[in-house]
Amino acid sequence: MSIMRRIFRWLDVRIGAGEIIEKELTGYLLPPNINIWYSMGSILLFLFALQVVTGMLLLVYYVPDADKAFTSVTAIMNRVPFGWLIRLCHVIGSNMMVLILFFHMLSVLFMGSYKKPRELNWLSGFILFLLVMSLTLTGYLLPWSQLSFWATTVTTNSVGVIPFVGQYLVEFLRGGVLVGPPTLGRFFALHVAVLPAAVALMVGVHLFLLKRVGISAPPFGCAETKNTWQGESYRYEAHPGGIPFFPDYLLQDLTSIAVCMACFFALLFFDPSIFFPKDAFIPADQFRTPEHIKPEWYFLANYQTLKLFPSEIIGLAVQGVAILFLALLPFIDRGAERHPLKRPLFLLLSIGGIMVWIGLSIWGHYS
Amino acid sequence: MGVDDRRKFLAYCLGGIAAVAAAGIIYPLFRYLSPLSSQLESSKVTIPEGAVREGEANFFQYAGSAAVLVHHPGGALVALSAVCTHMGCIVQWQKDRQEFFCPCHGGRYTSDGAVISGPPPRPLPKLPFAVANGIITVG
Repeated sequence: MSIMRRIFRWLDVRIGAGEIIEKELTGYLLPPNINIWYSMGSILLFLFALQVVTGMLLLVYYVPDADKAFTSVTAIMNRVPFGWLIRLCHVIGSNMMVLILFFHMLSVLFMGSYKKPRELNWLSGFILFLLVMSLTLTGYLLPWSQLSFWATTVTTNSVGVIPFVGQYLVEFLRGGVLVGPPTLGRFFALHVAVLPAAVALMVGVHLFLLKRVGISAPPFGCAETKNTWQGESYRYEAHPGGIPFFPDYLLQDLTSIAVCMACFFALLFFDPSIFFPKDAFIPADQFRTPEHIKPEWYFLANYQTLKLFPSEIIGLAVQGVAILFLALLPFIDRGAERHPLKRPLFLLLSIGGIMVWIGLSIWGHYS
Repeated sequence: MGVDDRRKFLAYCLGGIAAVAAAGIIYPLFRYLSPLSSQLESSKVTIPEGAVREGEANFFQYAGSAAVLVHHPGGALVALSAVCTHMGCIVQWQKDRQEFFCPCHGGRYTSDGAVISGPPPRPLPKLPFAVANGIITVG
């Protein structure tokens, strides 16, 4: 008996490892018509792990002090061996995470997987989306560059238009009247402790719901594309005769992760400064506002929307309504049909929404 | 080539790729976490001669570690490592007794670094220094 078999046998008789593998891996059957879009969640888990590891490594040299933060980041990039690699992995990883998150949400939208009984899956995923956006926002300030400082000034300032409590909220977020050392302390704590813990918790909830409700079958390549669950009792959606998660779909997950990492490293090695405009290389100066300060690509549409409306509160309210609409979509769109081509209104609204978002982002970039 | 041989060949190929990938991750990580070379280099330290009075000791950082310069009564100078040779604590200067004392386990050294009593196995290492134009240069 080989050493690996002996270790497995030792574990199996103690904790029933074979039963776990049968139930969770080889016997965990997925829909036979499953497609590549179902591997987005695995890519996201991988990227989140990468962010946690590279974030921990950055903490070895990063100093969360307004006088030293920029110097410490510069030292990581220029003096610490392979510091540039760790930081670029963290920066590109965050952008990639947002992009794959968009793909994941779009695939769920187009395949109607958010519909009952998966309302909570969607809601927990949407909370994860908001948490990831908050992570990118708080992480943006930490290098304490002109870009970080003024982007945070503009972002936190936009909360001020909320009637009655707006100004207090701005000061609460910043820890003072203006962005300064107290803001760095708050954002640092949120970025390295509070938000990652919240993301880990919500990932747990999301996966728990996925396991309890069962994975949804894609509405493609089958005669019945309508939701069959009537809501009378709890039902686990099994897929008898489907493909096993291990080794079949795990191989697809690993392939998707490999493709994603190929793009990741292509960016890292061939265009390393893609996410660094020139203001990212200048230390923060609270008395010198740079010209044309722009947010990251995923906030450009929000930035342009705020500029479009004459009143800032209307611009903010429109975005709030859009976010609320998306968060509550499973409770609004209650139709049983899941195939996108059989949902013309959904198709029109979603493609229109995506076009508007891309258009606003491009406009925001060139404005 | 049979099925088993092909499987073995593929497994070796995959194992080789995984080993190269692991090395590509472990080497940068090891270099990233290793102490910076600038912290270990023994650059020279200069101290004005008047800064250390007779019978006193002046502690300073040298080559990423702790060092001490002693000015003996009578004018002689000596530069020593201030790291106790027992467990690596920093020795303290006792002016009244003109000797070094390690508070961790009670090791005692003379002002020249020789062991008087206690657990230290070796004397405090001497450091090279030179005096020119009223400036003491250690290293």
